[in-house]
Amino acid sequence: MADSSDMAQTNLPVTASTQSQTTATGDHPTSQVTQSLPIREAKSTKTPTSADNANAKKNVAPTPSTSTTDGSTVAGGEKPLTPAELKKKAKAEKAARRAKEKLAKEGGAGAAGSPASGAPQGRPPVTPKKDASGEVWPVKKEDKSVAVFGHLYGQPRRTTIAGAGKEVHPAVLALGLQLRDYVVCGSSARCVATLLAFKRVIESYTTPLGTSLSRHLTTHLSHQITYLSTCRPLSITQGNAIRALKLAISSIDPSTPELSAKATLCEFIDNFIREKITVADQVIAASAAQKVQDGDVIVTFAGSSIVKQTLLSAHKQEKRFRVSIIDSRPLFEGKNMARALANAGLDVEYSLVHGISHAIKDATKVFLGAHAMTSNGRLYSRVGTALVAMSAKERAGGVEVPVIVCCETVKFTDRVALDSIVVNEIADADELVSAQSAQQLTGVTDPVAPSKPDNKKGGKGASNAAKPATLASDLETSSSPLSNWKDNSNLQLLNIMYDVTPAEYVDMVVTEMGSLPPSAVPIVHRMTE
Amino acid sequence: MSTTKAGTAAADSKSFDIVATYNELLRSDPDITMPIAAIEALVHVLTHCPSSTISETLDLLEKSTAHLKRSIPNPIGLSAGTDLFQRYLITTLQRPGQLGPAGDFKAIRTHLLSNGRLFIRRAKESRQKIAAFGRGFIRDGCTVLTNGGSRAVASLLQKAADEEGGPSAVRFRVIYVLSSMSKNIEEPSGEPEGMETVRALRAKGVPVATIPESAVAYALGKTDMIIVGAEGVVENGGIVSRMGTYQIGLLAKAIGKPFYVVAESHKFVRLFPLGQYDLPIEQHVVDFKSADDIAEEKKRKQQTFDVGNGDKPVELPLSDSVDFTPPHLISALITDSGVLTPSAVSEELIKIWF
Repeated sequence: MADSSDMAQTNLPVTASTQSQTTATGDHPTSQVTQSLPIREAKSTKTPTSADNANAKKNVAPTPSTSTTDGSTVAGGEKPLTPAELKKKAKAEKAARRAKEKLAKEGGAGAAGSPASGAPQGRPPVTPKKDASGEVWPVKKEDKSVAVFGHLYGQPRRTTIAGAGKEVHPAVLALGLQLRDYVVCGSSARCVATLLAFKRVIESYTTPLGTSLSRHLTTHLSHQITYLSTCRPLSITQGNAIRALKLAISSIDPSTPELSAKATLCEFIDNFIREKITVADQVIAASAAQKVQDGDVIVTFAGSSIVKQTLLSAHKQEKRFRVSIIDSRPLFEGKNMARALANAGLDVEYSLVHGISHAIKDATKVFLGAHAMTSNGRLYSRVGTALVAMSAKERAGGVEVPVIVCCETVKFTDRVALDSIVVNEIADADELVSAQSAQQLTGVTDPVAPSKPDNKKGGKGASNAAKPATLASDLETSSSPLSNWKDNSNLQLLNIMYDVTPAEYVDMVVTEMGSLPPSAVPIVHRMTE
Repeated sequence: MSTTKAGTAAADSKSFDIVATYNELLRSDPDITMPIAAIEALVHVLTHCPSSTISETLDLLEKSTAHLKRSIPNPIGLSAGTDLFQRYLITTLQRPGQLGPAGDFKAIRTHLLSNGRLFIRRAKESRQKIAAFGRGFIRDGCTVLTNGGSRAVASLLQKAADEEGGPSAVRFRVIYVLSSMSKNIEEPSGEPEGMETVRALRAKGVPVATIPESAVAYALGKTDMIIVGAEGVVENGGIVSRMGTYQIGLLAKAIGKPFYVVAESHKFVRLFPLGQYDLPIEQHVVDFKSADDIAEEKKRKQQTFDVGNGDKPVELPLSDSVDFTPPHLISALITDSGVLTPSAVSEELIKIWF
């Protein structure tokens, strides 16, 4: 099969670059070097030719190479592939095929930019990964990354635990996949889950001979962190928590016995979670609930756990108010919240973001959750938040509608965001494609659930059907007209995760340190550091 | 003051009426502000009631504060003082050393009381400081519009007027907005708030024009800047002040004239109003009535007159009502810790509290 060699290369850059990150992060102590020697070899020989790559790869990531030659044997073989992986493989094969066809059709080298698509500036400089592979594999595959956001694409999210360093703790391996699949979603939840996983890492950690815990554990943790960041880019909260943890580790006296040092660290983690998140949430919910008054119509966007907590505690105080939840595709985070609030007996209205002008019409207050608050007082949150805040503020009489952000100080960052282009996160565009069943209202809420059957189907298809192209069309034509969007040369999909709300649209930030105007964010951040 | 007498029974501070003290302080010293009067009243409470432990002291303080806040119709201003004093007490008590929790409580007590007095004296001096900071804003030939009876504004204007080297070193004019509402209800013939300042300025040779509130927009064209006082400065940098300030702020913004607020830094309150109706006080400014309601009210009034003044909740008289001027209307706050932008207020507050 002509495809197979191409396939090897398409997969390779992914795994190889993952390793390059892994190895790049730590200045390895001796023991580590011996462990990860093969990987380093693989990395050093990565560049030259495809043949070299295939050889070097053998001991590193056996799955992709064997699977290309014969997909079905692997699926039945020693390591069952995840549906997601199969799907990805099928996609890669398809892409390779398409590239081949195009090459045959157009031949020339000049084909790179002009003829392929209606998005001429879409491709060349922005995606370093694809360009890197381009030298061995002619740049025929159309670049599906949206040009303005080109710098955000980076490498695609990890789809498998294969190729993860052997230092990575099983708890972290599992967490990585959960993060990737949005099973653990929301910046507070991600932070807590990460810290808990790290606690387990620390518990099962033993300091190697010839080094001290305070020096070596940091390196050990950075392997875990690197792995997590390949599953999904780290949130601001995770970053802040990791920084605090590393500081705690490095401030441990090297003469402390290992057991007590580990106990100290575990205690530190527990305290951190309690102080910065659990108790902070209670304080915030209590003080934000005071701002809810009888007769209010409260608009909120997507699903923020802290806003949910606030509204529930306001309800517990027997305030009579109505909640209007605005939600958006593809994560539908508001469904959980709608269900929880409705179950608690609140009056809930649920609409999607395209109905915003209607939902905002009789709003009296807007409560928003946050992913992060930047130092210039801007709110960095789920994409769509800025639209909600703006709609509330700019409507007739909107000056009187306060926009309240509930946010723990652990979400504060010293970064500055001027727009939502420079810093953002891009998720898999295919998430936008999968169709939702029409009748679903507040029932099944797991956002990945609807795409799972698809994956499974795709996985089976990949192992059974030899032709990936037909598979793709078989799979999805019935579900969505966009299913073949990658074949459509004039079409790009953008699945952006966050946006930035200007400080002028935010009246108040409720934190565990009190209520602040957005301009006070840097001051508080400086103090909590 | 009849309302405060009613609250006496509830006072936990044996035989000592903090509310009466507070009101007496305000009445006896025309220069004293509400937060300072509150602090002074609390210091009095501590001197009168011998407490022997820290927790007892704090408990006493909390109870008297709560009582005071309950009995005063508009506790926004005074709560700045009580909060500040409480905070000061706690930080002093937590400090290690002789005056900390380990030290001799008597020593701590005397230290606290003497420092409390020092604090009051300093706060009274702050008006002079403000005047020194703000004087530079008033320049030759400018016209200042102001309202209300703020003593900080009055002292600032007078300071500008009596610069040494002449009867009026800075030649400026003042447009004084006299409120029709702020007239004393008991004696409607009495002069409106601020007339005293007007007379004082005129005596110093400053030309003063007095206008009603309805003429503010008309007069703004002739104005170079607006300077107002405040009852409390809230966390987002907005101010709570005499009814009518908000509309002046809106008009100033619309017409593009700078709007300055003069306030002592002890007036900074830990309060975050989201709008006019989010203040922690009851105000019945907008009171809808039909003819029937009026008749009924008249009847009820007669009845209560017969029964006598019962335990009805303290209500803010219309003349003392306040509004909230949001921070985006304010150009700068002239305080004794410098000239601040509204957003710097929260920084100052956070510094005090953490």
